[in-house]
Amino acid sequence: MKEILLRVRDLAKHFGGLRAVDGVSFDLHVKEILGLLGPNGAGKTVCFNVISGVYAPTSGEIYFAGRRTDGLPPYRMAALGLGRTFQIVKPFANLTVLDNVIVSCGVDRYKNLLRSFGSWTDARTRHRAMELLEKVGLERDADRKAGLLPLGHLRRLEIARALAVGHRLLLLDECFSGLREEEIVPLMDLVSAIRRDGLSVLLIEHNMRVAMKLSDRIVVLNHGRKIAEGSPADIVRDPVVIEAYLGRGGHGHAA
Amino acid sequence: MNDYVITVATFAAIQAIVACGLNVIVGYAGQISLGHAAFFGIGAYASALLTTKAGLSFWAALPMVVAVTGLVGLLLGIPSLRVRDDFLAITTIGINFIVEAVFLYVPFFGGALGIGNIPRVTLFHMRMKGPSYLILCLIFLALVLLLCRWFTRSWAGLACFALREEETAAGGMGISPVRFKLLAFVAGTATAGLGGALYAHFMRFISPGDFSFPVSVMLLSMIVLGGMGTQWGPVLGAMILVSLPELFRPLMEIRFLLYTAILLVMIRFQPAGLLGEASLARRVLAKAAPRGTGR
Repeated sequence: MKEILLRVRDLAKHFGGLRAVDGVSFDLHVKEILGLLGPNGAGKTVCFNVISGVYAPTSGEIYFAGRRTDGLPPYRMAALGLGRTFQIVKPFANLTVLDNVIVSCGVDRYKNLLRSFGSWTDARTRHRAMELLEKVGLERDADRKAGLLPLGHLRRLEIARALAVGHRLLLLDECFSGLREEEIVPLMDLVSAIRRDGLSVLLIEHNMRVAMKLSDRIVVLNHGRKIAEGSPADIVRDPVVIEAYLGRGGHGHAA
Repeated sequence: MNDYVITVATFAAIQAIVACGLNVIVGYAGQISLGHAAFFGIGAYASALLTTKAGLSFWAALPMVVAVTGLVGLLLGIPSLRVRDDFLAITTIGINFIVEAVFLYVPFFGGALGIGNIPRVTLFHMRMKGPSYLILCLIFLALVLLLCRWFTRSWAGLACFALREEETAAGGMGISPVRFKLLAFVAGTATAGLGGALYAHFMRFISPGDFSFPVSVMLLSMIVLGGMGTQWGPVLGAMILVSLPELFRPLMEIRFLLYTAILLVMIRFQPAGLLGEASLARRVLAKAAPRGTGR
């Protein structure tokens, strides 16, 4: 039996009458890549935002790294070792690429006000941030303003920042969307390499090919509910999933 | 230097200290404040009351003045920093008007007549006035600038930059928005308190009008003009905005028109301030010394 890192139970998030997430449960094991799939508006990103603390859930429980974490704010989740990227990239536009990563390297410093008065300009911090940039292949852009980078670079910058924070779990929210084909393959290699380093990943992905290839297991959401869970091979053949994506009696072909 | 120049320079140094405080809040942490004069006033009134009514010396009162102003900043910051952008601007304007009204209508603060007979600062039995007081103000300004420099190099300062740039992303990196916005607010208001104390013992008579809303607008103009979030921007902004009206004094009423024109030209051609990103001064400096023109 594998060790469970993230346990989600009967999670619900309602916005007024809209049930964005409506009773979802799943487990994520240590060193696993779990894909979270579903059509537009299925509740994937809301689910992400509840897990990472952006929203408090309407009901349900979340356990992360052995403790109950539902309702904790994002900065507390980060301190527990949960790093995330954003579907709509959120760089610190006026800081350099290197400084963007350095901000995330301070995750342990911000917990304690006194410790946050230490300096971030030392060589060790710089070196660590540089290593992270090398990992995602952005070392050449270290001194550029983050706001000037193209989308593909920004997606990798987000991963570098999330890596500094998420020593336990990475939440990757559609980090392949909007990328060119030649950018997707190296990024997939990067995510695989991250898992080999011992990290666990929860992945929201629209690109079926990417999700199928990267994920160990897949959870499919539709209208805020879990409609399927299993290995990628099982999921593509699941009639319920096919219906959710293509509609009943559809004769179209999958993307 | 004649007395007039020294008086203008002293006032500019004091305004620069207060503007540096505002720069921490607006320039570093990105939280708009249009009520900074309130804290400038709280510092001035606290020091005036402690030295006249309680009979303390300037030096004994100063730590208390800075602490009290920072504490009021904390108490007013807790509710204010819950709102953002335009709403925060309106809230801070409100703070300015309330504080001014308290000075004006609570008899303890001297009402419209204000507080007079504020003693001069003495150091080693020397009463400081004229050039020596200017030097004292400049020493305090240098101290504030050193603290600002240290803050920008601390993780706390970096956390503030991150919050300014993108609050949601900063939260995802372990940065508590409330904690670090409040830290910037307390540091900025305490600095305004220091400036207020220096102002009270410089003018030796203060009244509520000295700390009204237009003063807040002027302080904000200083850091916008000089370069928001830069080390020297508030100092340059204070120097220009304090001395310009004096230089234009012979022009009488037209000087305000000229003054407005200069600000408009600035906004059009140097939107990030005289020392800000991609400003003329920065580009010239970068050409003169390709390396080492950093923060």
